[in-house]
Amino acid sequence: MTTPTTLSPPAAAPAPRADVGRPRLTFGRLLDAEWTKIRTVRSTVWTLASLFVLSVGLTALICWGVAGELADDTAGEPVGAFVTWGLMFGQIAALVLGILVASAEYSSGMIRTTLAAAPRRWPVLAAKTTVLTAVLLVLGAITSTVAILAGNFFLDREGIGFSLTDPDVLRTMVGGGLYLAVLGVFGLALGLLMRHTAGAVTVGIALIFIVGNLVGLIPGATGEWLTKLMPGNAGTTLATVESFNPDLLGPWTGFGVFAGETALLLLVAGWLFSRRDA
Amino acid sequence: MITAERLTKRYGDKTAVDAIDFTVRPGAVTGFLGPNGAGKSTTMRMVMGLDHPSGGRVTVNGRAYRDLPAPLHEVGALLEAKAIHGGRTAYNHLLWLAKTNGIPRRRVDEVIGMVGLDAVARKRSGGFSLGMGQRLGIAAALLGDPGVLLFDEPVNGLDPEGIRWIRNLIRSLAAEGRTVFVSSHLMSEMALTADHLLVIGRGAILADTDMSDFIARNSAAHVRVRSPQGGVLAEALRERGWAIRRDDDGALLVDGATSEQVGDVAGSRGLYLHELSVVNASLEEAFMRLTADSVEYHARTDQPVPAGV
Ligand SMILES: Nc1ncnc2c1ncn2[C@@H]1O[C@H](COP(=O)(O)OP(=O)(O)OP(=O)(O)O)[C@@H](O)[C@H]1O
Ligand SMILES: [Mg+2]
Repeated sequence: MTTPTTLSPPAAAPAPRADVGRPRLTFGRLLDAEWTKIRTVRSTVWTLASLFVLSVGLTALICWGVAGELADDTAGEPVGAFVTWGLMFGQIAALVLGILVASAEYSSGMIRTTLAAAPRRWPVLAAKTTVLTAVLLVLGAITSTVAILAGNFFLDREGIGFSLTDPDVLRTMVGGGLYLAVLGVFGLALGLLMRHTAGAVTVGIALIFIVGNLVGLIPGATGEWLTKLMPGNAGTTLATVESFNPDLLGPWTGFGVFAGETALLLLVAGWLFSRRDA
Repeated sequence: MITAERLTKRYGDKTAVDAIDFTVRPGAVTGFLGPNGAGKSTTMRMVMGLDHPSGGRVTVNGRAYRDLPAPLHEVGALLEAKAIHGGRTAYNHLLWLAKTNGIPRRRVDEVIGMVGLDAVARKRSGGFSLGMGQRLGIAAALLGDPGVLLFDEPVNGLDPEGIRWIRNLIRSLAAEGRTVFVSSHLMSEMALTADHLLVIGRGAILADTDMSDFIARNSAAHVRVRSPQGGVLAEALRERGWAIRRDDDGALLVDGATSEQVGDVAGSRGLYLHELSVVNASLEEAFMRLTADSVEYHARTDQPVPAGV
């Protein structure tokens, strides 16, 4: 490594600085910067790869395994629930990616560099949210589409496959992208609130995957409604052709509830972000 | 130009920075000197808009940091903790940073060359040594060719070569007319780099002075002389009008004279000398006297230092 002991002098002495002709912060630039950030770390590649592999692989595996039983109608389960079955596990990767977008800035201390470059915090959060949403929307839709194709391949062999133009199947292809994108933003909000990767992952998984099932144990209408409204439960129906649990909210209603909950969490996180010291 | 007015930061009931006023001017290195916990880093974070002041205000070029239209073009900073994601390459770190403020790609290559990181620019920064990490932080600070630069303890943990490099860099940035604000807890370091001195202790400004004034006031040298005929020598020296003090071991401390003059006086009287030396009062001592009452964490000398510390 060469180590020059002096700097080459700048071409011209720094003139008094005026704003004219100087670049300004714009939202487009923040988007470009956040896009550069997300594509230049390995954790993004790893989480997106596991999102795809888990979702498609596990879907194919289960469909291969249960297609026979489903055809005999001895499984007693809705066939449509299986063609995106792997997403139940793959979605964890979307949650983690969202969390990392915020929490990795704190664990590395990079948040101070980010905010020195772009001191207004709401636009920074908006840029992060936009980039994350776009990435997961595209990759999520691709993932759920490929998962459906893979799962359906095995169901087709038993004669119980879906038509790919079935409106519920088409809705699920797009819905997988929408659901995973909102789940990622949910993680982002959580990561920004907690500023700690492991903590946010634990809370996120507990909230979406464990508490969502536990509230069903509360007796009566309270338990029923809590089950319907828990973020994970409300959102998932959009990303399945048919849900295992027939009592959940309809796909679009459920997704609306989930998106609303996520927006609320994001607002709280953003409000704290704008007030707290970096 | 950085201007703070009644700038205050409280954490709970602890006041880290207590209504301080100061101005950091262009074309000079302003040293921000204070013991551990004095409030240097907190002040710098407030300048950068990272911490919100509890009171007062601070502006850069007349504006609050958050109102700067393109901050990296006006301010560059190397803050205390490393602020880089170790999983990203040096080049990509500078690239996303450049993009926020519309800085062209070629400037990224340029600053990498300036700090001498060409060979490792495509390596992930997590594996960098302390010195390389510091250079990357400096490259980031220089990215927008800013007129105002902040360095928080830039030489901490560096080897002598790295220290000299940063010292030269800081001096050359000020020589180009930029505003340079550098914190340290070492007076000796400041004496070598700073033109102006801002001393902070327990969140209050204790001194705001030109470095040369501070040195002139605090580093008056004296001559130490020891003789078996101390009484006679003291008399002879007093006749010349120099102030004489006696050191603990009986040696004489002569203010206002050179060692040659003292030696000549002794020689002309035929007196024996066992010791003759010039003693420079250290700036470090002057700094410690200044901040003695405001040191945050006094070492307890009545207790043994635990092993491994
Ligand atoms: N986030 C924080 N929460 C609570 N107290 C804090 C926080 N940051 C700093 N402090 C306290 O404020 C005081 C000033 O700290 P600061 O880091 O600014 O000192 P410093 O002059 O930079 O010290 P050093 O030379 O050790 O870096 C210290 O007493 C510190 O404990
Ligand atoms: Mg500090």
